[in-house]
Amino acid sequence: MPELGRAALIVCLGLAVYAVAAGIFAARTRRRRLAESAQNAVLASFLGALVAAGVLLTALLRNDFSFVYVWRHTSLELPRAYTVSAFWGGQEGSLLLWLLVLTGFSAAAVLLGRRSAPSLLAWTVPVLGAVIVFFSFLLVAVASPFTTQAAQADGLGLNPSLQNPYMLAHPPFLYLGFVGLTIPFAFAMGALLARRADELWVVVTRRWTLVAWMLLGFGQLLGAHWAYVEVGWGGYFAWDPVENAALMPWLAATAFLHSVMIQEKRGMLKIWNVLLVVGAFALALFGTFLTRSGILSSIHSFTESSIGPWFLGFIGVVVAGSLALIVSRLTLLRSKTRLESPVSREATFLYNNLLLIAFCLTILWGVAYPILTEALRGEPVTVGPPYYNFFLKAFGLPLLILMGIGPLIAWRRASLRGLGRTFAWPIGVAISSGLVLLALGAGSSIPGLVGYTFCAFVLASIGFEFARGTSARRALAGGSWPAAFAQLVGRNRRRYGGYVVHAAIVLLAIGVIGSSAYDTTREQRLRPGESMGIGDYRLTFRGATSERGANAVEVRALIDVERSGKRLGTLRPGKNNYVAEQQVSNEAAIRSDRLNGEDLFLIAEQISAESVFLKALVKPLVNLIWLAGFVFVGGALIALWPDAREQRRFALRYGRHEALARA
Amino acid sequence: MLAVFLLYTSIAGGGTPQLRPGELNGRTGEVTLVGKVVGRVTGDARGSGLRFRLRDVEGTTAVPVVYRGSVPDMFRSGRDILVRGELQNGTFKAVPGTMKTKCPSKYSAKKET
Repeated sequence: MPELGRAALIVCLGLAVYAVAAGIFAARTRRRRLAESAQNAVLASFLGALVAAGVLLTALLRNDFSFVYVWRHTSLELPRAYTVSAFWGGQEGSLLLWLLVLTGFSAAAVLLGRRSAPSLLAWTVPVLGAVIVFFSFLLVAVASPFTTQAAQADGLGLNPSLQNPYMLAHPPFLYLGFVGLTIPFAFAMGALLARRADELWVVVTRRWTLVAWMLLGFGQLLGAHWAYVEVGWGGYFAWDPVENAALMPWLAATAFLHSVMIQEKRGMLKIWNVLLVVGAFALALFGTFLTRSGILSSIHSFTESSIGPWFLGFIGVVVAGSLALIVSRLTLLRSKTRLESPVSREATFLYNNLLLIAFCLTILWGVAYPILTEALRGEPVTVGPPYYNFFLKAFGLPLLILMGIGPLIAWRRASLRGLGRTFAWPIGVAISSGLVLLALGAGSSIPGLVGYTFCAFVLASIGFEFARGTSARRALAGGSWPAAFAQLVGRNRRRYGGYVVHAAIVLLAIGVIGSSAYDTTREQRLRPGESMGIGDYRLTFRGATSERGANAVEVRALIDVERSGKRLGTLRPGKNNYVAEQQVSNEAAIRSDRLNGEDLFLIAEQISAESVFLKALVKPLVNLIWLAGFVFVGGALIALWPDAREQRRFALRYGRHEALARA
Repeated sequence: MLAVFLLYTSIAGGGTPQLRPGELNGRTGEVTLVGKVVGRVTGDARGSGLRFRLRDVEGTTAVPVVYRGSVPDMFRSGRDILVRGELQNGTFKAVPGTMKTKCPSKYSAKKET
């Protein structure tokens, strides 16, 4: 069995090396048959990775502890689902998952590309092949999941805090997102290597970027929800290096998704877009490196993990190679058009890009700061949440307001009078909701109040845009309002899908602002019968229980909850003592209010029959964050959905070119 | 411009040095201490303070620590932790609520806060 896995990986590596060598040779000498053979090698490498993954999965399910990997990450009593999740629980397995997804995506991109952009594939295949070479080489030579030992009776087991449903879904989503960013990168490099100056690579990879970006975004929200519900310190994001690792490529991809529209529509920002796609891919690699190299569990030592230096080397090669390629193709990337006015749709896209990238770089700086200072001063210096929160406000608030301005402003050059007319409504809504909020007491946090006013502005401007479009559509085609609305969205999926995503970001902002700027925290020691107040809530300690669960002693404090005199029930915050693992896990109790999205979050410590130390948090609107996740995916799906009209436009624009290339 | 701004904020505004107990010798000012919890843990994090000794992860120098505030799940003797604070009269007085545990080496996918 392990031999089969090892052999499959070696075959995969061999095929990828062949895809690179044959692909380059074929592209240089324009040999079509050879180029197709290189493409087929990429397709076959997927089968190799599939076999290897199958071997590891079988070993996991059979509890085959002669595999070091299986022994290290599972145990006999581990439930089946978590035995499967151990696949990506360790370094070797998650690298194999990377390879599997990478080869799968590459194969799909090759198959789809044969139809839509065969002329681009020639140089794209060697780039894809090179990335596959790197990962399969790591798995063959540096971190093999198929190392064996004398069979053991039982495995070491999985960390209890990771034994929950979120860990089944959260890591694969992030990996799908990370890996997905490889495809646009490969096509961009392929276009440059082929000395193509057109926008075909942008058009072909738009959906790939969108899918990767959607999965990455959703995966992060899953992670945030896991932290909120399972880790239970009352927050959902802590600017931890791992979290930042996933946020950075997402921000870069967000910038890319916006700026490619400018390239498609106006032929501008070509160099910038290539830089962004390289940056997003490099950051995805960096993210995998951070989560997988062990550098974050020990920020001190780079060399602790065997794959760390390899990853850094590869990131270096990717960045240096791509930059060299871009520099050598600068003449191709000259824009034909220039920015006509700083007040235009293009300009707002540009500002949005600058803010997103500036934010991304500040996070990168914060993550790298301990490493840099250790190299320069001999001792690592870390920056904490205040650093990141400052930049979140400094860049996030302007980004928010741009989301309201961008969609309504004219292309090329907007007249100031026109602007006044367009924005009268949204500005009016924003100011009046700001005043209402102020009257309601939102002035306790100025950034919060400003943020909410901006949110109102964006929502009003999105609503205005939908209303304007629907009424125009109805005037054109007649019919009912809902029908006109459906037609509007259906005919401009990309645009209105984008607005739905904007609405999701506003929901997210409302939730984040509510739960961070307007939250309340109180902590107090309570004896039985004593109570404490927080907001409108009154919390009374009734006593403690202790039960033996499946593999833990579950201690709970019974807390009666009342709001404004009305009984809401009993919450049971507490601790689980995992006996075998000798580990305690905090089990926070959460009461969500469906109507206003507010959470009451309880953490109980030092629980005994005589007293409890209770920490209570009230987090207004926090549930909008999770709702935003679904709206986000919905909007992204609308923007992704295949569109026959778009296909026809595409065929008209690039069809002749492709026909020539094929001849 | 951004670079200058970043340099300024990160040097002037906050940012705490990360040290091992062995590097502490008599140094004042707020630092983040990284080390392994050794020996017995006594006291009460919600009362007079949790008391324990923190040793270099690979070394022998240790320093007594007093800590108040929330204690992460993974905290116990033998674990590697980070805590912010200041050395006062030979004892490291931690800032309440700043303790973080490092992940145990196995399954290092996520942190515990």
